[in-house]
Amino acid sequence: MVVRRITLDAREMEHPIPLQLALQHLQSMIQNEYLYMKHRKKPIPLIELAKEKGFVCFVEQDKQEVWHILISKNQNIKLEELMDV
Amino acid sequence: MFNQGGLSMEQAPPVMVVLRFFVTASVFGVLLGLYLMGSVGNILPLNEYAFQLTVIHLLSLGVMASFMLGALFQMLPVIAGVVINTPTIKATVVNILLIIGLFLQIFAFATSSSSLYLIASFFLGLGLLYAMSVMLKEVILIKDHSSSSRGMMFALSSFFLAIVLGIYLLLTLGGYIDGSYFKELKEVHYSFALFGWLTLLIVSISFQVVEMFYVTPKYPMLMSRYLVVTIFTLLVIKMMMIFMSLESSSANVVISSLFILYAGVTIHRLYKRKRPTSDATVWFWRLGMGFLIVSMLITLLSNIITINSQILGVAQVSFIGFALSIVFAMVYKIVPFLVWFHLSNQGYMEAPMMFDVIHPKRAKTHFWIHVGMFTSWLLSILFELDGVWLIAPSFLVMLSFGWLLYHLIMAIRKYNYTQQHTEKIEW
Repeated sequence: MVVRRITLDAREMEHPIPLQLALQHLQSMIQNEYLYMKHRKKPIPLIELAKEKGFVCFVEQDKQEVWHILISKNQNIKLEELMDV
Repeated sequence: MFNQGGLSMEQAPPVMVVLRFFVTASVFGVLLGLYLMGSVGNILPLNEYAFQLTVIHLLSLGVMASFMLGALFQMLPVIAGVVINTPTIKATVVNILLIIGLFLQIFAFATSSSSLYLIASFFLGLGLLYAMSVMLKEVILIKDHSSSSRGMMFALSSFFLAIVLGIYLLLTLGGYIDGSYFKELKEVHYSFALFGWLTLLIVSISFQVVEMFYVTPKYPMLMSRYLVVTIFTLLVIKMMMIFMSLESSSANVVISSLFILYAGVTIHRLYKRKRPTSDATVWFWRLGMGFLIVSMLITLLSNIITINSQILGVAQVSFIGFALSIVFAMVYKIVPFLVWFHLSNQGYMEAPMMFDVIHPKRAKTHFWIHVGMFTSWLLSILFELDGVWLIAPSFLVMLSFGWLLYHLIMAIRKYNYTQQHTEKIEW
């Protein structure tokens, strides 16, 4: 299955714009899509909210202290394999 | 609102828990403006002491404590990971007791009635100590503190001490306690309320929100880790010096210097932000930090050289300017976010966007009203204006809080309208 990536680079966005944009993407997300978000902080509210709504999440911080947040509706997607680093 | 390592937004209280306190604070602000206008026309038959106490407590309890407690009900769960169960009931109890207690206290100041002092101390003490039992107890139990949560613990501890001393002072004024150490305890009460509770809370929260809201470089680690605890320790040392009848000006000098350093670093951080858009909240922060520098510089100098009463008045008004500027900066960030977030989370696709809740231009207008208000007060102090000259500054106090009150009510109406008249989706 081909999965479509929705990219959101929030590293230089002021709070709460990243959350606002991410929620918009999640609300309109379809099965073969996933959100790939980069952030300077770990966005706990977004992650918790996504989990509560039944999304799957994968979160990891790289060596440059950038957080990579991957979220999808599709439970079968292996998000960790879609990481850039 | 802005958790970076704690619990979910789901732990955050319903939006009305916060807004109830913000509306209360704005109403007390409008009442303060009316009271000041009334005093200009000598409509209120008060002596100078009662007048000063009323203004101070309308500002510190009616306005500032209401804003701060509302913000804490929102921030403690999401910044410090503190779970406040049944927040609506607890916030309602605190809010009502604070309102009743403050009105009783003002009437007690006006009438010097012993029984009113007693009842006021009961209601205020009960309401505020209950708030502390809800908040401080939980913050102390946090195992892994962040700079912000640790700072909040010291700020809340300061507030607890200020409340206990405030009750003592009220009971002394009512004639229930003999009042030995009244003067000393009054100074400790003011120190912990203004520098411990109010300023340390702003400092603690800023360590988290300045970087997040405005994408600034982080505060120096030395500052975010040790500033709050150092100032709290200095306040305790100052308290001991006061009781031992020792000169406490050295403690004041160090505390003032540290606040100037903090304000300078904050302005520098705001200057260095990565996305230099400039909404009203940035200007409120800058102005607030400028006021803090002015206020603390005069305080510092007054502990070294003799300074005349007008300049000391400038320091007091600047301090109020600092506190109100930061509170307004926070309110204009918090309210639109909360309204949008709660509606969006509930599945209302037509939830107003943040700039629709309170438009940034309205916040900017408030900023200029705020600037006008403080400019007029500072001028009236510097030029020793009184009588009719104080009508305009007093009116601007009323206008400033009235402006905010109107926009808070509109935000609540938009929230309710969206819930009642738009469709909800499951997502």
